[in-house]
Amino acid sequence: MLRLENVTKVYEGGTVAARDVTLDIQKGEFVFLVGPSGSGKSTLIRLMLRQEPITRGTIWVAGKDITTIPNWKVPFLRRSIGTVFQDFKLLPNKTVFENVAFALEVLGRPRSVIRPQVEQVLNLVGLSDKGDRYPRQLSGGEQQRVSVARAFVNRPPILLADEPTGNLDPATSVGIMKLLDRINRTGTTIVMATHDHAIVDAMQRRVVAIEDGAVVRDDQSGRYETITMDVPVVAEAPPAPATDGESGSEGGEEE
Amino acid sequence: MSRLAFLMREAIVNLRRNALVVTGAVLAVFISLALAFGALVLNQLLVINTLAWQEGTHIVVFLKDTDEGGLSLDGQLQLRAEVESWDEVKAVRYVDKAGAYEEFKILFADRPDFVESINPTILPSSLRIELTDINLYRDVQFRLQANPAVKDVRSFGEGIEMLSNLSRVLNLLGIGLALVLGSAAVIMIANTIRMAIYARRDEVSIMKLVGASNWFIRVPFLLEGLIEGVLGAGLAVLTIWIASQNLQGVGDSIQLVQFTIPTEFFLRWGVLFVLFGAAAGVFGSLIGLSRYLREADGGARTGAA
Repeated sequence: MLRLENVTKVYEGGTVAARDVTLDIQKGEFVFLVGPSGSGKSTLIRLMLRQEPITRGTIWVAGKDITTIPNWKVPFLRRSIGTVFQDFKLLPNKTVFENVAFALEVLGRPRSVIRPQVEQVLNLVGLSDKGDRYPRQLSGGEQQRVSVARAFVNRPPILLADEPTGNLDPATSVGIMKLLDRINRTGTTIVMATHDHAIVDAMQRRVVAIEDGAVVRDDQSGRYETITMDVPVVAEAPPAPATDGESGSEGGEEE
Repeated sequence: MSRLAFLMREAIVNLRRNALVVTGAVLAVFISLALAFGALVLNQLLVINTLAWQEGTHIVVFLKDTDEGGLSLDGQLQLRAEVESWDEVKAVRYVDKAGAYEEFKILFADRPDFVESINPTILPSSLRIELTDINLYRDVQFRLQANPAVKDVRSFGEGIEMLSNLSRVLNLLGIGLALVLGSAAVIMIANTIRMAIYARRDEVSIMKLVGASNWFIRVPFLLEGLIEGVLGAGLAVLTIWIASQNLQGVGDSIQLVQFTIPTEFFLRWGVLFVLFGAAAGVFGSLIGLSRYLREADGGARTGAA
């Protein structure tokens, strides 16, 4: 479903945000991209969305190389990928219903189709009674639910989430994760960047650890398990000693 | 169809939500186009008045009496027929001595004693010549002066020529001013739309994120620009039309100057100005958007950094 092949991203000024990253994500998988702030998780998400030009490598989405498609085709790519962000990215001047419906308006769906589809997805995220509210009238958790509803309303095969629980308290985060889990069970591939240990540990899904732009660990069913910051990490590095009360890395490197 | 309706709705909702910015854009178009249209109308007034002054007699030829070596009545009429046959001449009116005295009486109606002191026979008969083109007056004047039966030739050519030149210069100035102000309108609309987009850049980036194409994002902005342009231009035309209607009232009290502009002129140029306003709105929006949409695009592979 998603394949990153030797992906490298170097920003102007020389900052390397992705180093030769190779990843293969199958249909229906739930993958956590974990790592400290600035490790390059968000850059990978942005590259998969074609929000940034790639420096080297290839990214395949549903069998298509998205690094070479022309700009005018990018909207079509994005329509097949749902996105959820830490800051919700809701349109402040639109109601909850309109925000979710917008993703379908973009596709040119008729209103007769949009209404039931939006109502259904609002029901799924538990906001069926708040369709006429504006984002500012909702709590953070509710706003993120709207964001998830918008990402899922046209049933995309892939959903990318960049720190979706970053602005939420633990209890609310659990609710969002349950929602994402439910969406994943419908067959949607989910890639989620996070540095929330508790969530990753609780979900027990595939964990890809990113450090300084490179993949340093890829566990099929793993825990967050941070890698020590003060020890240089290489692909074959032995499990690092725990520094913050957590155990060291137990998974090997893919690359 | 539903998509178009959605985009129309979006444009109208945006216009309502950004009332202040929209008012600014409409005013910008209104001021520029009102000045441009005003310049055009003033220019038209000048053309109308110059044309009015150009009408009528251009050259007066005073003929010698028979005792001064002039022609007989038949000869004078013959001369009139000859002059009338010239290509440069549109019409010739023969005014005999009696006719000249009648004109004289009208001219000095307020001084009857002076009129009475004049012997009607001393006033010469004359030819009043209207030319096809006022600029040809020199040639005609020269030929008539060479005629021995002619006492004197008076021409209004120089004055009218000067007025024509002035009109031409003002005409160019008016068109130049209209062009400059028209361009200013486009730039102001572009700027206003860019400001509106800047204020809504998050919104645009979210639209792109959910897969909206550039055209899908553009259309509501273009419609906004179009509506702003049409509103501003319409107001400008209406204002100048009202002003010119008021001027007509003033014109009634000043006999020499004509202040009436034909409705046809207002219709023709008014429609053109509204169309220009619409085009300026759309064009301004396109300029305002292009850079931002380009920046918001991720772009394909870059070279190695």
